[in-house]
Amino acid sequence: MTKALLALHVLAAIITVGPVTVAASMFPAAVRAGNPAQIRVLHRICNVYAAVAVAVPVFGFATAGMLHVLGTPWLIASICLTSIAALVLGAVILPAQDRILRTVGEPDAGDTAADSGRATLSRLAMCTGIFNLLWASVTVLMILRPGSTTGV
Amino acid sequence: MNRSARALKIASRMELTSLAVLLLNLALGNAQQVAAIAGPIHGCLYLLVIILTARDPRTTPKAAALAVVPGVGGLLARRRLDASTGPAVPSPHLETSRQNS
Repeated sequence: MTKALLALHVLAAIITVGPVTVAASMFPAAVRAGNPAQIRVLHRICNVYAAVAVAVPVFGFATAGMLHVLGTPWLIASICLTSIAALVLGAVILPAQDRILRTVGEPDAGDTAADSGRATLSRLAMCTGIFNLLWASVTVLMILRPGSTTGV
Repeated sequence: MNRSARALKIASRMELTSLAVLLLNLALGNAQQVAAIAGPIHGCLYLLVIILTARDPRTTPKAAALAVVPGVGGLLARRRLDASTGPAVPSPHLETSRQNS
């Protein structure tokens, strides 16, 4: 059963985090190219897969409970980093994408709007990069498991 | 048909069903394998219901609070969302009750 839960946890991570990474990374370039349909699809991918991604920590906790590793430092660090990543995605990236998506439909009102739009896009790209670094770090932590005495 | 409303409809029904499976398993000898798989599934659905309620355009703080109720939170939240601005998803039993009244 532990193996099944771990397999589901990894499958859920691959299926949900992958699309968000790709779509969020493509979003700024799509905005600069000015293709509203494409931008909408990319945002929708991020939204839907971010919601389904609740399965990843749920099955993660289930697996960790079965393995009795809930108190280990590498897992606590992973949980903290994952929480920050979820916060960055839900509270920064998705709302920023939504805001930019709304303003792309309307014609720009002069140079100042275009400049602040570029700044917003740069900030969004930065936050997307931070999100990717966070989940990549968690993946490495869970493979290396520094300080762990168990073998899975 | 509203996408998120349809998703909430499915998720809220599965939330209650998966809880029923867990309770049934508990009554029938508490098989550990069933609990180990059905438990996380129910947990996922519970969280999904809360997220979908918060994301629904018709959402209110009351609907979100109702969604947090274990087991039936999704169904309660859907009731409140449908009542506040009319159903986003046409429901057969609602239409027949309108015909009868």
